[in-house]
Amino acid sequence: MNDQIHRAPILKLRNIRRRFMLGETSIEALQGLSLDIHEGEFLAVWGPSGSGKSTLMNIIGLIDTPTAGEVCFDGQDTHLLVDDELTDFRGHKIGFVFQNFNLVPVLSALENVMLPLQIQGVADHQASVRAATALLDVGLGRFQHSLPDKLSGGQRQRVAIARALVVNPKLVIADEPTANLDSENSRMIIDLMREMNRTRHVTFVFTTHDPRLLDHVDRKILLRDGQIETDEVSK
Amino acid sequence: MNILKLALRGLTRNRRRSMVTLLSIALGFAAITLFAGYTHNVYSGLVRQSIHGELLGHLSLSKQGMKTEGKLDPERYLLSQLEVKNITRLLSDEPHVKLIAPRLGFSGLMSNGRASTIFIAEGIEPSAMDRLQQGLLVGRETSSGLYDNLKKKLDPAHPEIVELSSGLVELLHLKVSGQAAVLVNTLSGQANALDITVGHTFNTGNAGSNDKFAFVPLALAQSLLDAEGRADRLTILLDEVSQTATMRTHLGEKLRAAGFDIEIQTWQELSDFYNQVHDMFDMIFGFIFCIVLTVIVMSVANSMGMTVVERTREIGTLRAIGLKRSGVIRLFTMESMLLTLAGCIAGLLIALAVRWGINVANIAYTPPNSASPVPLLVDLDVGRSAFTFVLMVVVGTTAAFLPARRAAKKDIIDALGHV
Repeated sequence: MNDQIHRAPILKLRNIRRRFMLGETSIEALQGLSLDIHEGEFLAVWGPSGSGKSTLMNIIGLIDTPTAGEVCFDGQDTHLLVDDELTDFRGHKIGFVFQNFNLVPVLSALENVMLPLQIQGVADHQASVRAATALLDVGLGRFQHSLPDKLSGGQRQRVAIARALVVNPKLVIADEPTANLDSENSRMIIDLMREMNRTRHVTFVFTTHDPRLLDHVDRKILLRDGQIETDEVSK
Repeated sequence: MNILKLALRGLTRNRRRSMVTLLSIALGFAAITLFAGYTHNVYSGLVRQSIHGELLGHLSLSKQGMKTEGKLDPERYLLSQLEVKNITRLLSDEPHVKLIAPRLGFSGLMSNGRASTIFIAEGIEPSAMDRLQQGLLVGRETSSGLYDNLKKKLDPAHPEIVELSSGLVELLHLKVSGQAAVLVNTLSGQANALDITVGHTFNTGNAGSNDKFAFVPLALAQSLLDAEGRADRLTILLDEVSQTATMRTHLGEKLRAAGFDIEIQTWQELSDFYNQVHDMFDMIFGFIFCIVLTVIVMSVANSMGMTVVERTREIGTLRAIGLKRSGVIRLFTMESMLLTLAGCIAGLLIALAVRWGINVANIAYTPPNSASPVPLLVDLDVGRSAFTFVLMVVVGTTAAFLPARRAAKKDIIDALGHV
């Protein structure tokens, strides 16, 4: 792992501040946070509620912009991108895994996984082949034509992981990916993500409340009050 | 992305709402299509009634000024025998001209020996009358029997036998084959009276004229007016109604080039009733069209507004994984377009079924100012139905634009956090 973190970072955050207005009260969710994430890392962000984990994930995932500070993703200063460019950039470089799976309920598992490819303009046939492979990779080859409501929570999250990975992203963001799963499924999801990280060298950044999952990561960042309290790299 | 597939599936999420919206579009489209079909039938009936029923022909040719000054100075404005002959010869080789019929109108008093009343009469050759009436009835109108009393017939062998409107016959207590006397002024102002025999009776189709109208053989009219060989106009029948405007220009130029100072009017200019009914129905159609369109816009906008709210989290997900704002707008407007399209197709099927039901039900009604009932028939007005179809789809799609834009503008994080 150490050789990975010596590579150039794929994501650089510098002095990130994020302020929200709650009524007339200003809340600073991130307070001058700086962070480098390197290719191939399997990184967990943890901390108590309100520590700024989700805000940080949104900024890393380029679906939120900081009030101040710089975000540089894969050599691109992201604040220079207009909305459409940023959306394209995100679609090609980042995969998302959500706490509630966020699958399109009227599309089958295969169609859900095809979706990011079709958005990019990949031809249907090619998208179908790639999506089927992605589903096989996550162990759901038999469930290609199942609608999300016919799948268990763990299976849905695996579909979501396949959807995130199918575009061959540089980085996969997973915000509380196991929060809605039982402990066995949680472990299976983390194992799956870990396997994808090892075999495909995809960078994973996820948040969690579950301290048991932290044993599986290369690096864990403890956030508190919008700042990094500890940043530990596993030996 | 396969927006079409996603939009189609989207419509199946809330089936009840999609069905209600689809039904409102379908019923609206069916209502417009049926009304358009009904007016189309009325218009085509009125066109035939004007050209063939009222014997206006397609074009009416008279001396310049006849329309405004002819009543005061008929001697000056009537076409002479030579003019009738030369004009007929000049126009008879025109390929679109099927018939040139001299006409002579007049008015006077008709008496049964005890009482008299005014009448208006048209002199026309019996053969020309037959020819002009060909094409009056079509399809179910012929078999309905409701129009049988509109047919007029003069006997070429008996110029004293005249065709009287049914109201006039009733007014004077006349009978078919009975006698009456007519009194008119000749062109020189002399009183001239002749006995006539009542032939067939007919219904003018108009309550205002059904108690005073008569058709007489042209020879009788010329004899009564002491205007041998003369006519106040020539009625021209063309092979197609669509040729009317073109032929009016062409024949006018040809006759003026030949030295005739004439004016030509179309059947449409002479038929005030047709124009009034046409304008009235167009107005009603426009009114109904606007109401239905408003209902559809509101229905679609409401439906799509609710859809956008329900699918906020999905919008956030799609935006996060790379769908641009324009893609979100495309997705929801496509859904709306498919919904409107399906609604219009369903509406067309409903309209066709209702149309069939109406047409086989043999329903008859008496229109305002009409002297007899007419069958209620509904055509398929392809032009206006197609226009309505396209406009509804465009309007239905556009109605979704605002909700779709609202969806596209949603903040991704807020959308993902939507419950």
